[in-house]
Amino acid sequence: MDNAKPTIDKERRVFIKKVLEGTIAGSLLLVLPMNAGGEKIPEQLAGIRDKEYDLTDHDFAFIVDITRCIGCGSCCVADKKEFAVPDGHYRTWVERYLKDFDGNVYVDSPNGGLDGYHNPRTDIDVNVRDTFFVPKLCNMCKEPPCVQVCPVGATFLTPDGFVLVDHKRCVGCAYCIQACPYSVRFLHPVTKTAQKCTWCYHRVRKGLLPACVNVCPTGARKFGDLKDKTSEVYKILQGPGVFSVLKSDMGTWPALYYKGARREVV
Amino acid sequence: MQSSYYSHVIRIVLGIVALAVLGFIGKTVLTPKSFGTYGYYRADAIEEEANIEIRHWTNAPCFSCHAYEANLHLNGTHKTISCEFCHGPYADHVTNSKKTGILPVKKGEDIKILCLRCHNKSIQARPEAVIKTVTMPEHLKDQKVKLTHTCNQCHHVHAPLKYINRAKQIIGMQGEN
Amino acid sequence: MNELHEGARFLIANYIFPNDLHVHWSMMIVLYPYLSGLVDGAFIVAALYYVFGIKSLKPIARFSLVFALAFMFCIALPLLLHLGRPERNINMMLTPSPSSAMAGFGYIYSIAMGLLVLIILFIYRPTLVGMVKKSKGYMRLFYRALTFDSTNLSPEALELDRKIIKFLVAIGIPVATVLHGYVGFIFGGVKANPTWSSPLMPVIFLFSACVSGIAGIVLAYIAIRTYRRSAIDVNCLKILIHTLSGFFILAFCFEMLEVFSHHYLKSGFHHMVEGLLNGPLYYSFWEWQVGFCSITSLFLLGWLTLFKTKDQVYIILSGVVSFLLLLQVLFMRWNVVIGGQLMSKSARGYTVFHPEWFDKEGIIAVIVVMAIPFFLLFVLSKIFPLWVEEEKQV
Repeated sequence: MDNAKPTIDKERRVFIKKVLEGTIAGSLLLVLPMNAGGEKIPEQLAGIRDKEYDLTDHDFAFIVDITRCIGCGSCCVADKKEFAVPDGHYRTWVERYLKDFDGNVYVDSPNGGLDGYHNPRTDIDVNVRDTFFVPKLCNMCKEPPCVQVCPVGATFLTPDGFVLVDHKRCVGCAYCIQACPYSVRFLHPVTKTAQKCTWCYHRVRKGLLPACVNVCPTGARKFGDLKDKTSEVYKILQGPGVFSVLKSDMGTWPALYYKGARREVV
Repeated sequence: MQSSYYSHVIRIVLGIVALAVLGFIGKTVLTPKSFGTYGYYRADAIEEEANIEIRHWTNAPCFSCHAYEANLHLNGTHKTISCEFCHGPYADHVTNSKKTGILPVKKGEDIKILCLRCHNKSIQARPEAVIKTVTMPEHLKDQKVKLTHTCNQCHHVHAPLKYINRAKQIIGMQGEN
Repeated sequence: MNELHEGARFLIANYIFPNDLHVHWSMMIVLYPYLSGLVDGAFIVAALYYVFGIKSLKPIARFSLVFALAFMFCIALPLLLHLGRPERNINMMLTPSPSSAMAGFGYIYSIAMGLLVLIILFIYRPTLVGMVKKSKGYMRLFYRALTFDSTNLSPEALELDRKIIKFLVAIGIPVATVLHGYVGFIFGGVKANPTWSSPLMPVIFLFSACVSGIAGIVLAYIAIRTYRRSAIDVNCLKILIHTLSGFFILAFCFEMLEVFSHHYLKSGFHHMVEGLLNGPLYYSFWEWQVGFCSITSLFLLGWLTLFKTKDQVYIILSGVVSFLLLLQVLFMRWNVVIGGQLMSKSARGYTVFHPEWFDKEGIIAVIVVMAIPFFLLFVLSKIFPLWVEEEKQV
């Protein structure tokens, strides 16, 4: 790893140079997210805008607080509109869990929670012991099986910890979809390439929160950089709360943490 | 002319070598330049992803034009709600500082559906500590209003308790409920 | 089976992750291991003759190589039809990811194909040289290319060819094994899928490949010879059926061992596998793959190998058992590929697979893809005479 570092730094310098020379189209927007009127969107993630972005100096984490989710589906709506997600496919979705006194668990997620939950479950007749919503999105594994299996290197783990898809190289074999234990991937029906939640990488790089975090009215979704000791996620994960990850036995080491997830959550 | 007994074997070996060399050249030429900079992928794809257009612009740009709503919104209990959730993304409304589209404003029954997306008590999974929920139409009955009332006839959508608190002040009641 | 695993209550929810409704690897991916399995098995038959010197297989040794080549040409076809962006298939060769089980395909397939073509060209060199001398114009040019422009058939040249053939076929065994074993590993390496992620998967695929390939050779041999009203070498058939029995016993044992270990280990997602085999796959697995195709075949193979049978009956029964085994392997591929994907990763329910007729991965496309190798076999038989005695007439 030590040997690799200088080349990375060098590459980065070259890249920044290119950005400054304007040879990489659209990169200026990256540096200063402004509209043409000059109004800046207030920075939501500290320490990203005013300096050169160091791919190796970030450790982002996403926290979903199940005890605060009200299942409004704002996140799903925002996500669909941010990325024009095709109908029937979901980058993020919200599940409703319902547990009875016999230990049976009933789960549903009509249209991924995109239309909200308007009615109680009428198809089952049980006494409710516990019921809650669980938002789902990409787990941004540190050991991502999707990256491992991609035959052409079209899905990858960036140095700043995001699992992204290269839409120009993806051949659409769907092996990554098979390999993802969380089923967050789908094949885009138009581009025929794999797509998934990116934790809004394009927003993060502009100092903004992911769209779903931004719209969540109850703060059930938290996002931030663990290397930034003042960030909310750092403080939350530092605290005494009990956090879990999904399917930890898969050995995927997610960067998505759940607070208050009952053991029934898969 | 009779060829030597191993000539075909030599031709095959040469052919395989030629194929391998051609293949190697083709692979080198056609592999994208930034491939392998950080790992086994095209490094440029990171910047391509980072450069995607933002569609949700957060509440701040909305408030810069809609000052009246901003004032209401920021001082009400709905201050954590994103403008763009109910009205749609900023990018559908403004492009390059110019208004390019009209965002929808929900009215009538749609308002009720929208409100109950969060405030419906019959969905038991909503933690009471996080959100105030009501059961319909019991809430309308309790408040002694017509069952045809929509939510926004009592609750301002941007500041739900504005009118309620004001009314309570007028009739001299203190506190909520 | 009344006592269900505790995990089975998970299934009460019948909840499928919203992205799991669609089965991404459909019939083309069932077909792909089926085709490559046929190649693999056919190659094994040829190897038995050319490397291990089982002389009684001589009548079908050449045929099985040409048969393998016809199917080899078509292996990539279902894959291209399956890819979302087939025009980018070259990326598999340009940037094959070293960490991916799938990335090796381009190279393994190319090597296997090149090897098979070379083996066939060497074996048929005397025939092809004869054709060079007979043909004119473009055809002459074509045959000259196939003989690498050498008409030398001197004893030392033939001796060299014989050695090279033996060497190439010997390399061919591991290559063919890798070509197919790796298909099994593509499935076996998916840890997110409880029916796939098993080290037994490549082994099962390999043995069932041999079964389907040998069965395919037997059936094609009987069918073509009967159609042409030429004699069938029962001695050769017997060797084939014995080999087939051996491979099938291994394949079936491993298939059952896989199910048994799932049942015995009862690990985390056991309820999903149990529910799958006894639910959506009940008919295609227990009744068709295990019951009808495997048990019947075992009895028939037992009869054919252990008891004396009249030649005519032996030929008919060999045909029947081969057909059953081809069907068995097809069901096995279906149950693994499609069946595995019916389980949602929610571990709470199963999706449903609806084959389409006119999709690019639909039923019509499957029939076309399956028909092409037979057409190719017919074309190839014009260049490479399938039977030794026909050649003598030429």
